[in-house]
Amino acid sequence: MSVGASAPPPAIAAQGLAKRFGPVVALAGVDFAVPAGRVLAVLGPNGAGKSTLLRILAGLTRPSAGRVAIGAGTAGDGDHRHARGRVGYVGHATFLYPNLTARENLVFAGRLYGVADPHVRAAALLAEQGLEPIAERTAGSFSRGQAQRLAIARGLVHDPPVVLLDEPFTGLDPTSADRLAAHLRSLAGGGRAVVLVTHDLAQAAALGDRALLLVRGRIAFDSGAARADAAALETAWREATAA
Amino acid sequence: MNVALAILWKDLVTEWRSRDRVVAMAVFSFLVVVVLHFALPARDAEEARRLAPGLLWVAYIFAALLGLNRAFALELENEALAGLALAPADRGWVFLGKAAANFVILGAVQAITAAVFALAFDVDLASIAPSLVLVVALGSLGICAVGTLLGAVSVRTRYREVMLPLLLLPLLVPVLLGAVDATAGLLETGTLRWRSIQLLLVTDAVFLIVSFTSFEYVLDE
Repeated sequence: MSVGASAPPPAIAAQGLAKRFGPVVALAGVDFAVPAGRVLAVLGPNGAGKSTLLRILAGLTRPSAGRVAIGAGTAGDGDHRHARGRVGYVGHATFLYPNLTARENLVFAGRLYGVADPHVRAAALLAEQGLEPIAERTAGSFSRGQAQRLAIARGLVHDPPVVLLDEPFTGLDPTSADRLAAHLRSLAGGGRAVVLVTHDLAQAAALGDRALLLVRGRIAFDSGAARADAAALETAWREATAA
Repeated sequence: MNVALAILWKDLVTEWRSRDRVVAMAVFSFLVVVVLHFALPARDAEEARRLAPGLLWVAYIFAALLGLNRAFALELENEALAGLALAPADRGWVFLGKAAANFVILGAVQAITAAVFALAFDVDLASIAPSLVLVVALGSLGICAVGTLLGAVSVRTRYREVMLPLLLLPLLVPVLLGAVDATAGLLETGTLRWRSIQLLLVTDAVFLIVSFTSFEYVLDE
């Protein structure tokens, strides 16, 4: 997506991102930009490079080539610490400590991110995620849905302008999934840029302001500024994965 | 600094609730002392004093290996290590927090081991306790500094249980030299051998600086 003079500045942008693991090419030149308040849905079959892309955006993995720009900063060759502080990452795993309570997990995360009053922030996030009644229970005793909500709260503990989510709907029952979808819309509505990796075409079409289909590390389909509908995504998926 | 304190707090609370590391390390070091007692029985007080420093530090090193291996294995659950790597701070502070927690946990096990050792080998450690605490603290600092770094390196390898001892033991030679010699000096004369303390101080400083500065890259995927 090119950013014209009138377009809002991107909250996060990838420029020529490439990643190799030895002989394996995970990403081969990926470009996109996500303005504040928008959701980018990234789709793709297994092994397409979606999770690698998200981990590079989060600052967990260094790209072999290219750069990530977050706000005014550049994480590709600049201040990684600054970039990590502006991104909230919710991965496949929850990053939670099973022996700590839900509240302790959030307070700990708040301290890692230098949140001014982590106890107040933890209380606010627990209320927001509907986890207050079980705030003093250890995370190890949580169901998949509860743990996922706590993981999302953890990712938002420092109120980041950019939120990255890797398959957040996996393992959730329909009620929890609906609740999460509404929450993602509210995150974007609150002015955050959201990058959502998902396998679900319908979810990508429903939530994404823009959709990218990643196949073998390359962008095989880009809905551009237009919102992609599920049928168009399905056609693009079939064509790209059949090729 | 806040990141290091947060990780220290988290590791100690987690350990207090599970006690899996302290118990495993204490039982293991107890068994090492018992095995050494029967394998190398001291015939008299003089021989016990001669053998004690080396044997005590062998027990400490074995206990440390067990604990250091577990320290980062716990971070693999739910990929919590990635959560630490995402903290917007110099990753050296992550190292310092983990190393400080290892130091406290190892210290608790060393106190128990020393008591068992004194009984098993009939060595009077109580009379030299303050100086011995200093020597053990300096030795443990070096062990925990380089052990925490290598624990983070080895935890993502396929053979991590084997990898840590292979990487760590050769690097602990200067720590062992200094610590064993300083402990021997305490048992023989009741005074500190400053050349051994200097060796420990220099080794600790090198291990701490190298580990702090290189941890940024160790946590990279």
